[in-house]
Amino acid sequence: MNKFSQLGLDIVKLWGKYGNSYLLGVKNTLILALVGTVLGCVIGFLCGVLNTIPYTRNDPPLKRFFLRLIRILIRIYVEVFRGTPMVLQAVFFYYGLPYFSNNSLRFSSVWAAAIVVVSINTGAYMAESVRGGIISVDPGQTEGAKAIGMTHVQTMSYVILPQALRNIMPQIGNNFIINVKDTSVMFIIGFPDFFSAHRAAVGASYLYFPSATVEMAGYLTMTLVASFLLRWMEKKMDGSSSYELVQVDPLTMTAGTYSFPDHATPFDERNPEAVKSMQREALRRQVEREEAERLGKRAETRRDSETMAGRKEADR
Amino acid sequence: MSETILQINHLSKSFGSNLVLRDIDFTVDKGDVISVIGASGSGKSTLLRCINLLETPTSGEILYHGKNILAHGSNPAQYRAHVGMVFQSFNLFNNMTVLENCITGQVHVLKRSRNDAEKHAMEFLEKVGMAPYINARPRQISGGQKQRVAIARALAMDPEVLLFDEPTSALDPEMVGEVLQVMRRLAETGITMLVVTHEMAFARDVSRRVVYMNQGVICEEGSPDEIFGSPKKPETAEFLTRFRG
Repeated sequence: MNKFSQLGLDIVKLWGKYGNSYLLGVKNTLILALVGTVLGCVIGFLCGVLNTIPYTRNDPPLKRFFLRLIRILIRIYVEVFRGTPMVLQAVFFYYGLPYFSNNSLRFSSVWAAAIVVVSINTGAYMAESVRGGIISVDPGQTEGAKAIGMTHVQTMSYVILPQALRNIMPQIGNNFIINVKDTSVMFIIGFPDFFSAHRAAVGASYLYFPSATVEMAGYLTMTLVASFLLRWMEKKMDGSSSYELVQVDPLTMTAGTYSFPDHATPFDERNPEAVKSMQREALRRQVEREEAERLGKRAETRRDSETMAGRKEADR
Repeated sequence: MSETILQINHLSKSFGSNLVLRDIDFTVDKGDVISVIGASGSGKSTLLRCINLLETPTSGEILYHGKNILAHGSNPAQYRAHVGMVFQSFNLFNNMTVLENCITGQVHVLKRSRNDAEKHAMEFLEKVGMAPYINARPRQISGGQKQRVAIARALAMDPEVLLFDEPTSALDPEMVGEVLQVMRRLAETGITMLVVTHEMAFARDVSRRVVYMNQGVICEEGSPDEIFGSPKKPETAEFLTRFRG
């Protein structure tokens, strides 16, 4: 218990001194993760669309060559950036550019470098997710779009990608949450994110564990809020689960699809004409039933007497 | 002599070493209502899909108003906008409502204004009895209703020919009637239709020309009375007796 109260006190002390730099770190982390994920999605969608442009034997050789080249380039991009750690990519971009260009080319700010690295990295993952999302859409959707004369770009932008986007929303959410946490490696190039606030606070106060606790709680809060918002967005994208009928469908009589299915039919209780005819009908049925009963009884008695007669005969 | 819309010459299609269509010659004139019948695997659907370029024919030519659409430099998307297609599995766009399904092609392909497209779409949705459902999404309506929307979507593009690829085969029996009724009405309005079907009653009563396909070739072609009344080829007669059961 003692330890916990000590931890609490230390956190209060830390927050009093470095609270603002923690909050600034949170802000920067969220901005970087959000911008990086959005740009990464754009890159991913571009790659996904370029990757799925169909070509046939009838196309001119130059077109086929370019399409194949594009696919190879995207493949290399995906493999390289998916296969190396983001922390090293940051180092390569931030320090590599001035190294190779004798300082004539360099990122003007760590922000630019961080956003480029996170976007390109996310893009490499998203390229594959988008490809998966496109594949998961029923091929019939593409055929339906082509059959009404849509080009590949139109088919993609109006029919396939909206559905692919819905299908990969969980993946995008995944990537965003990973980015919230993994942007912490950007301290390597001096990016002022949430984790670098921890390094600064610890360097001055030596309160390692209390600061780490703040970080843990901070990251968890960010990711929990993010996943809640993503769920909400997915629900929004699915749209309403019900719809309004505009009028009555004359061709089907499917149960439960009308707000007032008996309208103007003999079963319509609000239609006085129909009610009268229903009453007449009921009366007629009753009379018929009584008639039938009477006849039936007569027939029964006859049958009874016949069987009796038959038995008597058999007895004899 | 009515105007010829489509003329198909020596069309062949193979999937790998499997020859599915062999040397098909075939014309579609304006106002024709043609039924293509035949056993499963006889190449009916492939023929239809080749006509719409959803499959690339291996050889032969398809002349649309005299122009070969298989030639290099022809624009398949533009051609398809004039040739409507109704699929066995409906293929309505799942991300759109019924109304949007019927509008999107008009707006993006034919470049009509949204207002005009909406009016035009409503006209056809009313014809197929789906006007009440314009706000529904494809997953919320029944198979028969989906197919009627698909027909309206194709019609809204004002196609010159409407291709039907077994439009009732994926439907529950009680829904077949509503779709066939819509197609009957369409045939009466004089629209050019090419229907691949297993509905023999429809082929006999509604179409003006019946094509019987067998093993990738057109085996026999004629008026419904000729094909159903006095088939010339033994294969045709045998196929039809199987249907009469």
